[in-house]
Amino acid sequence: MKVDWSAVAALFRNEMRHLLRDRRTIVVSIFLPLAVIPVMLFSSHWLEQRRKARLEQATFEISVEGSQAETVCSLLAEAERMQTARGEAFRFRETAVAVPLAALAEKRVALVLRGVTAAEALVAPTEGADRPERGAGRAGARARGEEREPIVEGVPVVEVLFRADRDDSQAAATTMRRLLREVRTERRHAVLVAAGFPRDPATVLPVTRENLATSGQVAGLTLGRLVTALLLLFMLSGGAVVAIDSLAGEKERGTLETLLTSGVGRQEIVLAKLLAIFSVALLIAVIQVANLLVYVGFELIPVPAGFAAAVPPQVAALLFLLYLPVTALVAGGLLLLSGYAKSYKEAQLNFFPVFLLGVLPALAPLLPGVSLRSAVVLVPIANAAVAVKEILVGVFDWPLLLVTLVVNSAAAALVARLSIRALSNERLISPAAAESEHVTGAVAFQRHVLRNFAIMWGVLLVAAANVTTNADVRLQIVINLGVIFLGGTLLMVRAYRLDPREVFALRPVRPVVWLAVLIGAPAGLLTGVGVFQLANHFVPVPPEMMEAFGEAMLPEGLPFWQVVIFLCVAPGIVEELTFRGALLHGLRKRFHPGVLALVVGLVFGVFHTSLFRIAPTAFIGIMLSAVTLLTGSIFPAMLWHALNNLVALGAARFGVPLEGLDAPPLVAAALILAAAYWILWRTRCVYPDLRPGRGRQ
Amino acid sequence: MSQPVVVQGLTKIFFDDARGEVRAVDGVDFFCRAGEIFGLLGANGAGKTTTLRMIATVLAPTAGTALVMGHDVQREAEAARRALGFYSATTALYPRLTARETLEFFARINGVAAARVPARAEELVARFGLGDYADTRVDKLSTGMKQKVSIARTVAHDPPVLVFDEPTVGLDVLNALEMQRVIAEFRREGKAIIFSTHIMSEAERLCDRIAIIHRGRIHACDTLENLRAATGKHYLEDIFIHYVELANGDGGGTP
Repeated sequence: MKVDWSAVAALFRNEMRHLLRDRRTIVVSIFLPLAVIPVMLFSSHWLEQRRKARLEQATFEISVEGSQAETVCSLLAEAERMQTARGEAFRFRETAVAVPLAALAEKRVALVLRGVTAAEALVAPTEGADRPERGAGRAGARARGEEREPIVEGVPVVEVLFRADRDDSQAAATTMRRLLREVRTERRHAVLVAAGFPRDPATVLPVTRENLATSGQVAGLTLGRLVTALLLLFMLSGGAVVAIDSLAGEKERGTLETLLTSGVGRQEIVLAKLLAIFSVALLIAVIQVANLLVYVGFELIPVPAGFAAAVPPQVAALLFLLYLPVTALVAGGLLLLSGYAKSYKEAQLNFFPVFLLGVLPALAPLLPGVSLRSAVVLVPIANAAVAVKEILVGVFDWPLLLVTLVVNSAAAALVARLSIRALSNERLISPAAAESEHVTGAVAFQRHVLRNFAIMWGVLLVAAANVTTNADVRLQIVINLGVIFLGGTLLMVRAYRLDPREVFALRPVRPVVWLAVLIGAPAGLLTGVGVFQLANHFVPVPPEMMEAFGEAMLPEGLPFWQVVIFLCVAPGIVEELTFRGALLHGLRKRFHPGVLALVVGLVFGVFHTSLFRIAPTAFIGIMLSAVTLLTGSIFPAMLWHALNNLVALGAARFGVPLEGLDAPPLVAAALILAAAYWILWRTRCVYPDLRPGRGRQ
Repeated sequence: MSQPVVVQGLTKIFFDDARGEVRAVDGVDFFCRAGEIFGLLGANGAGKTTTLRMIATVLAPTAGTALVMGHDVQREAEAARRALGFYSATTALYPRLTARETLEFFARINGVAAARVPARAEELVARFGLGDYADTRVDKLSTGMKQKVSIARTVAHDPPVLVFDEPTVGLDVLNALEMQRVIAEFRREGKAIIFSTHIMSEAERLCDRIAIIHRGRIHACDTLENLRAATGKHYLEDIFIHYVELANGDGGGTP
């Protein structure tokens, strides 16, 4: 394709001129963040310093109570002596109050020291209106990862009662605990020495810790984990300003039609817009990073002690090179989003989920043990994020850095191509074409199906995080399959007034199809293992991903017939109704059949929320989608799915490690799978009403 | 030599789940000569805009061909677009550019040589009386001035073919008359002009030949005199209704 670069330059200049003259956009997207962030940081820094200074100079009123109050007082006296000996000020003053806990609640004292016997300490405290939250001192301490010290019979206990909702009380409690522990250690050592311990107890069994990584590497790890996500946030927020105005805004203003009827080609239009978004996204990212560095320089943003991330110029250049295709990908994604929106408002509404999805892969370096030499190298953005982390700790894996560049560049090119197609999509650019549609229940379903599945996915995540984490596996399955999948799917069928027989493809099939399913299901499972083993030779696949094939979640103590019902039959029916039923039906006109199978498979994979199960389940999902498309019916996919799970479960139950199989059985499985699909192809009864080919349009 | 615009069997079918195939334009044939205003007269939804959008390459024809200065609108879309200027009530201007910048931008992207662009913009500023407002941002201009900039933008690259899709929609009487005057002037310059409207008086006053389009099909196409002779009716409104009723009778439906 020949590109008219002079036209691209003219279009780019026009884009930038139009953007730079929009004062509101410039102020909101550039000047406001630049001005507001320093003011916010400066104010909070100043206030924090003041608070610290005030607390450091304050003398805290404390109250001592309990049957062992005298012991507490002697501890305090010893603490004061120790501090005085060190030249420090003892900043506690005992105050006599009638009801110490009421005084604490009324802010007359900062903390209450309660000396009690072990027996008293073991008695559960009574809760009263005036009683401070014991949780602040106990459960709260546990929440911060500190362990409650054991109570020993006959040994007095000192309880430090404070209010975590008050700065002074918290600061006083922290210092007091430290002092009391110092006194305890001192006393312990004195007892040991008095009993004839031969040397200073503090010198016994010294444990040393030595960090062999350089301070630059340590800082690089910290920086590398977050820098890509941070940059992506800047790029997305900066680029969105131009992108939304670029296509969605042009559609709304009516200038897009003016442009499309001019003598310039669509690829030039898209290239110019991409360049504009790319430039602004990059510029804003650079400005914001410089801004952050200034804050760090002025110590407005605290950095960890000894943080010494040094990025030499050649490393900085390499990072910049890695980020270029990522920026192009971000620009392409934003332009695509804008192209598919019919108005400015719609683009803004769609931006938020894209924003979240865009940042998600940049968090890959936070995954434990993830390295570039794994399947992550094939995931756009995530690969760059991991590569940057490795570079910052001094690891330069040149071949995979090259793969990272190629993958991200290819993804950016693909997205740009999709944007050009969006500009040729008549429903998106022409009011006449759009007006020809009458939105009925079925049409509305097709438009909303992905959005509805995204909502369903969100519900699944929330349920997984809150409800089913520690639940019985049967309850988990009932909630996931019965409530979320089946409930959500039936809700869609009802809300859009769809015909269940059509949506769920409830059609009979030829008898020979069952033969293909019987041989294809186990062969498909083994072929999946083989494919990932093969891929492992080129790009290391995480072992967790390989194990996910054999992973059958065999719950302990569950009779095998229940395992079959809950893990084979139920998923076979419900997941097929949801994914190869509703989802495939809703998307059938949006994608060509091959892409349709891929999309349905990928969505199926994403719904298996465990990261390493996504790829294997997506692989199975693609196979099941192909089965449904070739047979025009849901029933073969149901049987295939149930058999697939049964084989995986059986292998796990009888201790057959699928991931450890050799090449011959895997090759045989692939051949059997091919034979199964050949049978399905020869006897095909294609899914009805698929997206027409180009010839039909 | 072939005509500047030749349309043969042009068809556009939209797919609609509720109505199935919608034949918005159904086998339309016509041509437009240089120095001629060819009118497409039809009610709203008759297929005028869809026809013109296919000629302007915004929409792809389902069947048939359209040639603009010999360039097929599907195979040589960019060449076809460079040979035409498209104006409609929905083709807007960039609000934050000045009138002069607008003209320079459209001249440049329509293939006018970079060195010639400023001079061409100056010519257009002078011709359309934009002198005092040439450096004013478009969003600060009055409706009449915006209309002038919009027409000047349409002819920024001096195309031999002009397509006006209901250009007077939303304009007051004076601005509508000014628009008609400018279009007549372009005819005198020898441009081939396709002009769509549903306003009978405009078609009567401006068009050399008129095609009556209804439900995506052209039911009559001739000079006003010949249409009068063929129908025995004097007023274009009566002629239009005559053909629409005839079409509905053939089709067995109601308008």
